[in-house]
Amino acid sequence: MYDKKVVRRRRAVLGVLVAVSLGLLTVYFGENGGGILHSFQNGTSAVFSPLEKGVSIVFKPVSNFTHWTGDVFHAKKENKQLKQQVQQLQTELAQSQTAERDAAELRSLVGLPRTSNFAAGDKLVTARVISRSPTVWYSNVVINAGSGSGVHIDDPVIAAGGLAGKVTSLTGGEAIVTLITDESSAVSAEVMPDGSNGIVRPEVGNPNDMLLDYVDKGANIHKGDSVVTSGFTSSKLDSLFPRGIPIGKVTKVSPSEVEQYQRVHMRPYADLRRMNYVQVLTGNAQDQRAQVVK
Amino acid sequence: MILTPGTVCRLVLLVIFTVVIQVSGIESIPLLGGTIDLIPLVVGAVALWGGSIAGAAVGFSCGLLLDFIVGQDVGASSLVLTGVGYFVGRYGEVNEPANALLPIPVGAATTAAYLIGTTIVSLMLSFDASLSILAFRDMFLTIFLNTLVALPVFALVRKIIRPVLTRDPLDRRRKRAAPIESGPIGLRGLGL
Repeated sequence: MYDKKVVRRRRAVLGVLVAVSLGLLTVYFGENGGGILHSFQNGTSAVFSPLEKGVSIVFKPVSNFTHWTGDVFHAKKENKQLKQQVQQLQTELAQSQTAERDAAELRSLVGLPRTSNFAAGDKLVTARVISRSPTVWYSNVVINAGSGSGVHIDDPVIAAGGLAGKVTSLTGGEAIVTLITDESSAVSAEVMPDGSNGIVRPEVGNPNDMLLDYVDKGANIHKGDSVVTSGFTSSKLDSLFPRGIPIGKVTKVSPSEVEQYQRVHMRPYADLRRMNYVQVLTGNAQDQRAQVVK
Repeated sequence: MILTPGTVCRLVLLVIFTVVIQVSGIESIPLLGGTIDLIPLVVGAVALWGGSIAGAAVGFSCGLLLDFIVGQDVGASSLVLTGVGYFVGRYGEVNEPANALLPIPVGAATTAAYLIGTTIVSLMLSFDASLSILAFRDMFLTIFLNTLVALPVFALVRKIIRPVLTRDPLDRRRKRAAPIESGPIGLRGLGL
């Protein structure tokens, strides 16, 4: 047990493996998205994609069953909440219909063309989540749609309820989606109905809480207000996300005495940790890049 | 552990199977609001039965594959799992435990070490990361669920790697003691 050769070999193996891990981390953080490790990551992801799809399909009935069981337990509580929500939405619908009629009249007065939030060439590609990280610290998921389905890098991804993230890496049959809860994420947003603008940033390690930063101190924001993508445009660069995609609901407003801006906490509408299906909005980002190049 | 091409092949398949099943299967099955994490359990089982070198190597491989497949920071999980595998292996080598219920505390400790290690590495790598109640709740649930499934997972891993083990602690426990010889003192041991 105390043979020096064995002890030396054991320690050498540990040392080499730890050194390789640290080396890989250093290289990964030092290189850009097209670096060797990132490319190898894409390649590995593509190689294992068929296996992941197969396993995902095999486990789907079990997954559906556990979700169904959970849903049954929560159904009663959810039913009560939904009834309250329906009442609230009915009121909001009435207000929206009135506002839309007013807007249509005003639009016709100034001769503005009626446009939807999404650009004309945009298409929604539905995809299934085939892999996700086991811890709360990483905010990537792998979906089973890639460039073969018309998906591009930077395409916005929408889950049930609201914005989920954007495509950051791509192969022919799958794509890695970086969620809005990732530390690299920043989404320009506006608060409804106030219309104040800000940047939605994540609280890393807490996917249920996000920060809406750079909101003017005087903005009249309340708990329960909706936050949607603002889809800003400028002469140099346009937002990747089209205007009006719901992001989340305001949970807390903390005005600071010292700072110029107020910090607004919000909870994302989409259940980013349990989503199984997403939609990729294709076309928008590519068009915008083309505009920037021009 | 006897190192042959067959052993390597066995461990490589175990690593691939574990990581793919975890990220594409188990991760989509919520139980009591959390999910089971097979990866630390398998690393802990290989380390306990196979020793520190096997534990560190399997931990490193599982972590690296996980980082590559899910698009995480490459090297982060492998760093944590290498350490976890090595120290569980050392525990097994030094104590040579033979208790059949040992996988329960070892599974819980391995999972806890992995989750705490991942948290520390994530906090060090992220600029503005913070510890939330959700992270603690997730950690607690995963440790609890992993403790529940530790026995069957350890038994399965032991079954897979048993043919290449140099020593099996559980076999030692099961060996029966030699029968006590009886008869006149002067004639004992003569086989009469």
